[in-house]
Amino acid sequence: MSVPSLAPFIAKRKWLQAWVKPLATWYTNAAGYRQLGLRADDLIPEENDVVQLALKRLPPKDAYDRVFRLRRAFQCSVSHQLLPKEEWTKPEEDAPYLTVVINEIQAEMKEREDLEAIIVSKREKNTKEGH
Amino acid sequence: MFPRSTVCRGAQRALRRQAAHPAQRRGLAAPASGSFQYQSGEAKGVKFASRDFAGPTTTLALVSKAGTRYQPLPGLTEGLEQFAFRSTERRSTLRIVRESELLGAELNAYHTRENLILEAKFLRDDLPYFVELLGEVASSTKYLPWAFNEEVIPLIHMAHKKFLASPVDMAVNSAHSLAFHRGLGTPTASAAPTPYTKYLDPDTIEAFSKYAYAKPNFAIVANGAEQAELAKWVDQFFDNAPASFSGEVPGGAPSKYFGGEERIAHDGGNAMVIAFPGSSSSTGQFYKPEIAVLGSLLGGQSSIKWSPGFSLLSKAAASPSTHVKTTSAIYSDAGLLYTTITGSGANVRKTAVAAVETIKKVAAGEITKEEIQKAKAAAKFKELEHGQDILAGLELTGAGLVHGSKAYQIDEVAKAIDGVSEAKVKEAAKSLLDNKASVSAVGDLFLLPYAEDLGLKV
Repeated sequence: MSVPSLAPFIAKRKWLQAWVKPLATWYTNAAGYRQLGLRADDLIPEENDVVQLALKRLPPKDAYDRVFRLRRAFQCSVSHQLLPKEEWTKPEEDAPYLTVVINEIQAEMKEREDLEAIIVSKREKNTKEGH
Repeated sequence: MFPRSTVCRGAQRALRRQAAHPAQRRGLAAPASGSFQYQSGEAKGVKFASRDFAGPTTTLALVSKAGTRYQPLPGLTEGLEQFAFRSTERRSTLRIVRESELLGAELNAYHTRENLILEAKFLRDDLPYFVELLGEVASSTKYLPWAFNEEVIPLIHMAHKKFLASPVDMAVNSAHSLAFHRGLGTPTASAAPTPYTKYLDPDTIEAFSKYAYAKPNFAIVANGAEQAELAKWVDQFFDNAPASFSGEVPGGAPSKYFGGEERIAHDGGNAMVIAFPGSSSSTGQFYKPEIAVLGSLLGGQSSIKWSPGFSLLSKAAASPSTHVKTTSAIYSDAGLLYTTITGSGANVRKTAVAAVETIKKVAAGEITKEEIQKAKAAAKFKELEHGQDILAGLELTGAGLVHGSKAYQIDEVAKAIDGVSEAKVKEAAKSLLDNKASVSAVGDLFLLPYAEDLGLKV
């Protein structure tokens, strides 16, 4: 699920981004999921309806790869090992694949709520004619 | 008995008056151009036809030459039909639904053997909105894999189940496939899940949509819209539809009649269809008005309450619970005249034998002149009533425009029926028996007869 993020604020300001970027890279590496071959999107808690639906909507190939990464990470975790260095997730591979779908679903839900809350007014022409 | 002249007089008078003084017909409740005649035109390569009916509502339809006859893979037409009015580049499915609800409109998509029809019914003022919506559906629907899995496939599956549960549908489709093999013979729903699980995916549907919504392959038909206004909006909103389609689709070859027999065991009832080559639509090449008269002469269904009706087959029905119906199905370049018999097995058997006897009688000329006159009146009434029924003309008109750039003019068809002579009807009946029939029996095969037993050639 999406959480409040400073990222868009920072990305807009080039000078700030130049400052924060090295810090962010250090933090992501230190988080350690890449050393287990995971991607950031694999860490999204899936115990809710939105993410469950998003997982169902993944293309078959993506869903398969995700399960593979998770199982490999579990295996590493159980045996208290990291993957060999060449199998670590590279920063360029760490792209969002699930967030995109989640955002779509949330947009859909928001649209539905907006439409539920709609206030209908008569068209001016019809009000005059007394339809 | 009702004298024929009284039945006919109203319709005749209506026709005569319309032909004589078209301008004077405009009264308080009459429309500006109150005839069954469609005015057709073309805007930036999109064909359209409209007639300005009186009344505050409009029915607008996009008729595309993408029925099951033209689908390159099984299930594509159904897939495309279910994708209609779903998310487009600009709006989501939900928004389309809610907006149309707010405007008080009705959206509908369905398909026949030759055409895919997207239809909207709404208040007259909302014409621009719905022309835009149809334009959007045609050019920018998103064929999303998840929408396919979550929304489209379950509906196709339901259609499949519904089809399997209906012996009549199965018999009619089986008769069509016997008569025309591929092309027109392609069933309108799947009899097994294989077609839509094996061949159907969003990409192929999208590719097919490029054919179905290419400008030469569809027409816009409106009832209750001004020609000039429709022209204006069609001109504006169909810019993004593909201008032409370069690939190949099947079904283009002229239909050929084969004939044969098929028997399918079924638990849910008994149905028997006896079909013969019929007449094409009046916009097509093989138009034979005598087939319509023969169809209503054989008939089977009563138009008057508490009476079996005058038609020959309604007298032939073995019991009141045995339903007989003769349909003259017309397509762009061929047709099928078929009698459907449903009821209990033994009665269907008896009725089928009697039905063939009746056709033989007609061919031999053992039919009174009065009965043929009645059949003509009934056929003509049906046609003119068709004209008043807003929905009926839509598909025929659109199909006529797409196939031969000619709108289906109900007045002309009614006139053609008037010109049918007694001898022609007999000749038509004789030609039915000379040709191979298509006979399909669905239900209790122990009781249902073979075509051979009925005395038909297959």
